[in-house]
Amino acid sequence: MASLTSAAAAATRADPSLHSFVGLRRVPLQNHLVTRNERNAPKTPRSLQIRASKSSPRLSGRPLRVAVIGGGPAGGAAAETLAKGGVETILIERKLDNSKPCGGAIPLCMVDEFALPLDLIDRRVNKMKMISPSNVEVDIGKTLAPSEFIGMVRREVLDAYLRSRAAAAGASVINGLFLKLETPQDSTGSYKIHFTQFDETLTLGGEKKTMEVDAIIGADGANSRVAKEMGAGDYEYAIAFQERVRISDAKMEYYKERAEMYVGDDVSPDFYGWVFPKCDHVAVGTGTVTHKADIKKFQAATRLRAKDKIEGGKIIRVEAHPIPEHPRPKRVSGRVALVGDAAGYVTKCSGEGIYFAAKSGRMCAEAIVEGSANGTRMVDESDFRNYLRKFDQLYWPTYKVLDVLQKVFYRSNAAREAFVEMCADEYVQKMTFDSYLYKRVVPGNPLEDLKLAVNTIGSLVRASALRREMNKLTL
Amino acid sequence: MASSFSSPLPTSFSSLSPKNHILHKTQLALFPKKASTLFVTRSSDSGGGSVASVAVADNLEVKEKKAEVKEEYLGSNGAAVKAEAAAAAVAAFNDPRWVEGTWDLKQFKKDGVTNWDAVIDAEARRRKWLEDNPEASSNDAPVTFDTSVIPWWAWIKRFHLPEAELLNGRAAMIGFFMAYFVDSLTGVGIVDQMGNFFCKTLLFIAVVGVLSIRKNEDFENLKKLFEETTFYDKQWQATWQDEKSPSDSSK
Repeated sequence: MASLTSAAAAATRADPSLHSFVGLRRVPLQNHLVTRNERNAPKTPRSLQIRASKSSPRLSGRPLRVAVIGGGPAGGAAAETLAKGGVETILIERKLDNSKPCGGAIPLCMVDEFALPLDLIDRRVNKMKMISPSNVEVDIGKTLAPSEFIGMVRREVLDAYLRSRAAAAGASVINGLFLKLETPQDSTGSYKIHFTQFDETLTLGGEKKTMEVDAIIGADGANSRVAKEMGAGDYEYAIAFQERVRISDAKMEYYKERAEMYVGDDVSPDFYGWVFPKCDHVAVGTGTVTHKADIKKFQAATRLRAKDKIEGGKIIRVEAHPIPEHPRPKRVSGRVALVGDAAGYVTKCSGEGIYFAAKSGRMCAEAIVEGSANGTRMVDESDFRNYLRKFDQLYWPTYKVLDVLQKVFYRSNAAREAFVEMCADEYVQKMTFDSYLYKRVVPGNPLEDLKLAVNTIGSLVRASALRREMNKLTL
Repeated sequence: MASSFSSPLPTSFSSLSPKNHILHKTQLALFPKKASTLFVTRSSDSGGGSVASVAVADNLEVKEKKAEVKEEYLGSNGAAVKAEAAAAAVAAFNDPRWVEGTWDLKQFKKDGVTNWDAVIDAEARRRKWLEDNPEASSNDAPVTFDTSVIPWWAWIKRFHLPEAELLNGRAAMIGFFMAYFVDSLTGVGIVDQMGNFFCKTLLFIAVVGVLSIRKNEDFENLKKLFEETTFYDKQWQATWQDEKSPSDSSK
């Protein structure tokens, strides 16, 4: 059971395409196209990439026109890449000042790959505390270098920044609500999208409009309407519930660079409860897939466990949102593709979605730019399948490893106790942070891997032995 | 001969039935545990419910003292709370041997040597207590107990050896009976059976079966486990099902 972690780690090591992170030096904005090509070279031969655009009809007199529905990280990144690639881009976002309920944690590789200015980041978390069901606590972060951190951002700030970059690259940002789309009769016709445009004068209800586009990227989040229109199918989702609590400065000092993770059946049967620091308050929340009706109960339990540290705090906001658990059955249909939460790219175990949303948006846009030879040719479904193939190949190991970890360690209280115990090990901390911050696994020492496997099995066996003893007791 | 046939059977059944007793006990123990957790969390939830409704109005203070909170939760939902849960919810976990977030091993000494069994019992009791009555984690008294301080041989002696005895006993009974049965049917003695490939396969299946199916639920658990390992992969590959090209289906 434990060898799965080391075996999966070995699998990620063997995959040469996991070199998306190019170090902490500031990468100029154009370079993301270069690194993408480097990744492609060993996997797909050049001829395959040109084939799509050679066989597609050349557009006469106008560039390719793509609508990006949704202006979060996925939509913003996609729109920027499209606009830079010479494609006529329209970004439709329904609420430009939307403050999304979100943990707000971004890995280091996102800061670098998307050239995010450091002042976007409210807090740099470099200490995490894991707390087991019986309150055994372990601090992780000893192995981090001083320049390494988990960035905590406010979603409204990040989303607005990415959209402004897209607008600066030439995309037109429209404040509107997507209603429906009409598929073309033949394979080269245009899609017709219906949306309501809200103008600055805030006329009630907005103005109904239509537009003809050649392709659509659905980046409209977990409740994606594009997904519904294209018949993408449903996914299982978790409910994440969060309360923003303003606590005293003295208590806030403890959370200055520290995030906490609480595990236990009381806090969530299949996820974890968290306390994440934000700009001037903390976010206390939890989530669940299987027991959604009990979410308030789990939230109360989370507040109880963090009680001493958030005592006297004032709840300033209560928010909840669905989080997809796995990709939708269909992510591409014709010339409509889904990216980000709309596609279901949230990892298990940690529930991370921002980076994968932005990256998938960018990768989809790159596939369109390439397939259309910079906006001069029509694209077809095979170009979107290219994006899917690349994304799946690049990140499948990460998703699978996190799925295995969730299955093994979130199974029961005994497994969670073993999980927290394992986190005390420095090798585990190093591997965890490396794979989270850079989305890659550094070739580990095989001897250390073996020790890790043995220790994992030992922890799990001890915890389940104690579990059997606990079952015999009736207090 | 008939009596010698029947003698292995009753002994194997009688050795299996105590396991069933334990099985029932663990099943029963599981449910009350869940129920009491539900009661405690439900009581806190109704307090939480009233808290949350005030929170929507945007101006709520998280209560100061834990005792106050507990009483408020209990008071607002007194009817649903069992007597023991009520009493337990008020007191925190308390044990003279639990000092500053870890077990004081010096207090577990018996005849000059640490009594590891008592440490295991104490930790099991602590975890059970906290599972039924979750407490706030505190920065003043952080819990740092690590179960690996208990030496490996103490775990083996207490948990592995009895189960190993049980499984070896089962394997021996099955082996003896099957060897006798095969011998009586085919006339092939035990030494010649070992040389036969089919018999060796049966032996392998018997050993794997004894090891993997220890309780009645293990049949279902193993089937579910196998499905689980490939479920996530199937969800990711769903989008490729409608594509004609064969090169993408393998991951």
